[in-house]
Amino acid sequence: MNRTLSIFVQRLGSLLATLVVMSFIIFLLVEIMPGDVAQMILGQSATPESIAALREARGLDDPLLQRYGRWISGVVVGDLGESVYMRGVAINSILWRRVGHSLILALTAFIMFVPLSIFFGILAGVKEKKPTDSIISFFGLATMALPEFVSGVILITIFAVQLQWFPIVSVIPIGESIWSNLNILFLPALSITFVMFGYISRMQRSSMITVMNSDYVRAAILKGMPKKYVIFRHALKNALLPTITIIGMNMGWLFGGLVVVETLFGYPGMGSLMMTAIKTRDVPLIEACVLLITIIYSLSTMITDIMYSYLNPRIRFQGGQR
Amino acid sequence: MKRFIVITLLVLLLAMPLVFAGGDKEAAAESEKVIRVAEQVPGLITPGVWDGQAFSMNSSIYEYLIEINADTGVIDPLLATSWESEDGKRWVFKLRDDVTFHDGSKFTSEDVKFTIERTQDPDVGHLQRQDFSIVESIETPDDYTVVLNLSDSFPTFIYRLTDYNMMMLSSEYDYASLGESKPMGTGPFKMEQLVPKESALLVKNTEYWDASLPKVDKLLIYFVPDIDASISMLESDRVDIVPFVTPTIKNRLEGVDGISIVSPYQEHRFIAMITDMEPFDDNRVRLAMKYAMDPEVIARSVAKAELNDGVFYNESPIISGLVQHKDIPFRGRDIEKAKALLAEAGYPNGVSVPLTYASDHPYGKELAQTIQELAAPAGFDIKLQGYTRDVYLSQYWMNVPFSITGWGVRIDPYMMLSLAFKGGGPWNESHIDNPRVNELIDKISSETDADTRMAFYHELQDIFYEEGSIINVEVPLLIAVNDRIVNYSHPVSQIPQYKYMDVK
Repeated sequence: MNRTLSIFVQRLGSLLATLVVMSFIIFLLVEIMPGDVAQMILGQSATPESIAALREARGLDDPLLQRYGRWISGVVVGDLGESVYMRGVAINSILWRRVGHSLILALTAFIMFVPLSIFFGILAGVKEKKPTDSIISFFGLATMALPEFVSGVILITIFAVQLQWFPIVSVIPIGESIWSNLNILFLPALSITFVMFGYISRMQRSSMITVMNSDYVRAAILKGMPKKYVIFRHALKNALLPTITIIGMNMGWLFGGLVVVETLFGYPGMGSLMMTAIKTRDVPLIEACVLLITIIYSLSTMITDIMYSYLNPRIRFQGGQR
Repeated sequence: MKRFIVITLLVLLLAMPLVFAGGDKEAAAESEKVIRVAEQVPGLITPGVWDGQAFSMNSSIYEYLIEINADTGVIDPLLATSWESEDGKRWVFKLRDDVTFHDGSKFTSEDVKFTIERTQDPDVGHLQRQDFSIVESIETPDDYTVVLNLSDSFPTFIYRLTDYNMMMLSSEYDYASLGESKPMGTGPFKMEQLVPKESALLVKNTEYWDASLPKVDKLLIYFVPDIDASISMLESDRVDIVPFVTPTIKNRLEGVDGISIVSPYQEHRFIAMITDMEPFDDNRVRLAMKYAMDPEVIARSVAKAELNDGVFYNESPIISGLVQHKDIPFRGRDIEKAKALLAEAGYPNGVSVPLTYASDHPYGKELAQTIQELAAPAGFDIKLQGYTRDVYLSQYWMNVPFSITGWGVRIDPYMMLSLAFKGGGPWNESHIDNPRVNELIDKISSETDADTRMAFYHELQDIFYEEGSIINVEVPLLIAVNDRIVNYSHPVSQIPQYKYMDVK
């Protein structure tokens, strides 16, 4: 257990270091993005004086490091600043509502794709080289190869336009909350499932095949244990390990990847907010969104590492053997 | 234990469709009239610096002294009941005496004074600062009379009050800190709930001075960053109105039952040829370009419309619908003449020039490609350079030899001329600095006799025909509207009038 703890401390340290470096990179990247914020805000009717006045008022002309310092010292105490556009409206009041929506969508997708892909991955692995395996593998490859904006459109055509089971767009009606409109989650979550399914089920399949061919499983089968018992008691436990890693690693990716799905479906989550922010050069809002995605990515990777070391005794005890 | 987890997950998975199939709820109670709009996500919405996006929201919350009648195009009284000026210098406005702001305070002459003085406040960065710098002093003899004294005679001054940033504001309200989050005016709708970057819920102002308006109870405005998502919302009956659609979307929606495309008026697309950069610094090259154009082809390929029926073409900045417009017949496409002009100007083997435009703006791409094709036989080798509109406006506009820019209509053409076609004008995109044009623009602004003013306008358009720096393609503004909406009202001042709209 001590080993796990020291891994945790180690990871936490490198997480913080990553975040500091990333925050600076994010700041720099946004800085070199084409397009002038003041011009963007004032639009076509801007005059040189009004642009200058606005740049002055927002401190856009200060040196780079000074602006970075101002931003990062706010972020540390939880103040993400104000959106360029919504004067008097803190980003905190815009962002967290959207993050909540995105979490709900990610969770829905998670509940859909994890059991599905693990189940079919195991099935394909156990029935290796049989028709079942071929069908599952083919389907997995096909869905994986389709980007979200393609599978999303196909899903919309089938479920929303033809069958009319689900709404075409995932907009929360004004004056209602997400909880009374859960049906809007299905199609976006399904198109995420499509992408994740191929990836995870193939991972599960190959690790299942490796484990099923290992000596201890063969021994268990040979000694006359029921096959079901061998699969679920012995093989699965070991075959799940790589899959958990993949799922964990992908949680961060999933969150960043929501941009496409949310924009396609018009879902009011963090991805579509970031899209809006980028389109309108809303610098503080872009920075807040990207930083948050970075944090989620780093955190999910860290949690995966720790979970992995907890589940895998070889990693946990490695320190003691050295 | 493991079995339990597996079973639970499977049950959850199976139960999911049941949860999702909560079904579409009916949007609102039958008795309540609601109009739903999908707009672009607005930038700044504070009056004075409002960038002109999300028109449905601001134009319903705020009101102006006057408004343009969407049917006739004439000025109608609104918060001002009457106005008069004998010399174009001293303007007397009478105000309505029964108007209150949403916060309960009375609308008086003080508020008008505050609104107009605010245009000159450097802290605001008001977009109408230049246009209103001619107001020297403001008198408020009583609560419902305002007198504006101008520095010079401006007979068409009244039109400047139709600018969308000139809504009347309360002198007691803190627009600097509340303008973005809690907009407040005298308009027919009140802000009930604003979710930044997501939506706005506006409700009927029950205290509105005209008891018969607005016709509907609620205005729901969704801010949707993606125009295709907005169209999906329209098709799935989640919204009723989507403004500013592209010609491609228009074609797509034409076969859809229950949805119509309305086009309240035309907008400009100025194809500007900069007069102090090669090759257009030579008027013969500009003429060659004009001789290579074919208005009928432009109309069909850009907007799938016939010329003079939706799309108009001329070579002066004055839009066809206005009385000041002079109808000059098209010069006729003449490739040989264009080639000869180019050779005379020193380009016997043709000339290569980049054309810069905003690729995501309606008609931008279509127009650029058409011009490229039309000009090629005359010897113009045009390289297309499309950028998103913000990048185009901030980095290329006004600095490239050849560009396409979308312009809204100014009802008083003088406003457009002084901005964009006078030497030293703030948005003089073609860098035109013609002494006679400058002189005519000055004369137009101060001439009190309407006929003389008209003669100036006509002379100006003749000059533009001969040596002007732009080609002006007028394209229809397209708005997708559900047929349930009655009386979609949108005058050329760009300010839609939701108070007159009703629901079947």
